[in-house]
Amino acid sequence: MTGAAVAQGDKTRVILELGSGNDLHGCDYTKAALRAVADALHHSSLAFIRSLKIDKTKLGVEVTIGVQRPDLVQIEEIKALLPVGSPTVGVIKGGLDVPDPEHDDAAVIASAAVAVRVDVSALATSGKRARPPERR
Amino acid sequence: MAVKRMVLEFGMGTDISGADPTKAALRALRDALSHNSLSIATALGQSPEAMTIDVHIGVPRPDKVDGARVLAALPHGKGRVTVVDGGLEVHDDVGKASTLIANACAIVSLDIQ
Repeated sequence: MTGAAVAQGDKTRVILELGSGNDLHGCDYTKAALRAVADALHHSSLAFIRSLKIDKTKLGVEVTIGVQRPDLVQIEEIKALLPVGSPTVGVIKGGLDVPDPEHDDAAVIASAAVAVRVDVSALATSGKRARPPERR
Repeated sequence: MAVKRMVLEFGMGTDISGADPTKAALRALRDALSHNSLSIATALGQSPEAMTIDVHIGVPRPDKVDGARVLAALPHGKGRVTVVDGGLEVHDDVGKASTLIANACAIVSLDIQ
């Protein structure tokens, strides 16, 4: 996966959540993508929203999905899964298809990245703002 | 200044056939860390080394976990580890070997105004 969804203004990325999901039978790319996003979301809890008293509606949320058939992903279903903010969803070619030619089936795998952005200049805690290098 | 929680990272790790709780715990922590890329410290004008990371592990036989080996997985910050009896152990049918699951949570905190 090399692309990214559209950046959202001047907000600084504070976390990138990563996940993968699959649909083992049926080649449902939307189902695989939904599971990938759910996996990404459920490996972290964004405690800073409460700690820094951030208005959740002002968070920037960018979802990027990688699947082999991006045209078959229902973007509105992905948006409905996001709990906060007004997400943008980008779907690009990626993920992995594992064909089973003997049974005319395939397992389809989706990758998901969810970037959460905050306007740090609006925070009371941001005395020394710096553009961050990415970590991990 | 007050130390506040910024992010909680969750993961799961296993030792399929060795029943080594340290190995399962280490994999659980790595799983938690590798699902998230954190830039919140630098976004708030702090060094990643300023992060404090409280690692909580649930695994069978917690007394056998080498905490220093687990904490070595942390790339930045000051780590502390707490291991409790948890996770899951599943024995094989003949009662010779078992599979271990460890659950991990890394609580990342920063000292903020």
